[in-house]
Amino acid sequence: MDVAKFKPAIVYTIYIASTPERVWQALTSAEFSRKYFSGFAIEADLRLGGAFIARAPDGSVHIDGKVIECDPPKKLTVTWNVNWPELVEKLGPTLVTYEIEEAGETVKLTMLQSHDRPLSDDILSGGRQGWPAILSSLKSLLETGNAMTIPMKPPARMLAALKAMGIKTPM
Amino acid sequence: MDEVFRALADASRRSLLDRLHAKGGQTLNELCEGLAMTRQAVTKHLAILEEANLVSTIRHGREKLHFLNPVPIHQIGERWIKKFERAKLVALSELKRRLEEDDA
Repeated sequence: MDVAKFKPAIVYTIYIASTPERVWQALTSAEFSRKYFSGFAIEADLRLGGAFIARAPDGSVHIDGKVIECDPPKKLTVTWNVNWPELVEKLGPTLVTYEIEEAGETVKLTMLQSHDRPLSDDILSGGRQGWPAILSSLKSLLETGNAMTIPMKPPARMLAALKAMGIKTPM
Repeated sequence: MDEVFRALADASRRSLLDRLHAKGGQTLNELCEGLAMTRQAVTKHLAILEEANLVSTIRHGREKLHFLNPVPIHQIGERWIKKFERAKLVALSELKRRLEEDDA
């Protein structure tokens, strides 16, 4: 896969009063992710080509990806493919990159969602709605010890757009 | 949070955010196109928006790309919108959008 072909479609930044190491750990471990990511467990084999999975609370694999770049605790790029039939075939792979920088007493976390082709606003609405909730909840968890429980479900316009493309969605 | 409200208090800055909402990943040149603002003014407004974390920037090759960063606005929402109100608000916005689309 040629990473240079991918262009970021969504770039979100959040400042967290924490250390780069703790932010890295929160992004790559199930123990943390279950709390800020709606019960989803991140299982990451942190080496190039290693598996990067988000497992739903029912045990099924929701995100099926691989590690593309790994420079702890500064940068992690993974393929972030939602495991719905036909999705990758129709939309191409999704890349997610986390960049972690120290910014004084805090950490600047930047999340990039990139694609190798232009996608419609309807398709991107899923990421646009989901990421701010995930990142805000991650911030709360690291700063206060408690994550926010933000109810999340895929936006109707995204599901409709995926169905129109012949992608089978579970809802 | 003060700097978010200060940044949002200016109509020119809100219009820059609207442009980034319509199309993410624009360069300074693209953002300046068709605007009745000098390049210097746009640069200044973008700096204030970036300071307030309402705009994220990345380097892509030789270009600096700007993206709307809604995370601080999301946090404002989390502070004042209760969990059970969210679904009703989404339904109301959706209703408004549909009704207004029918008019158009």
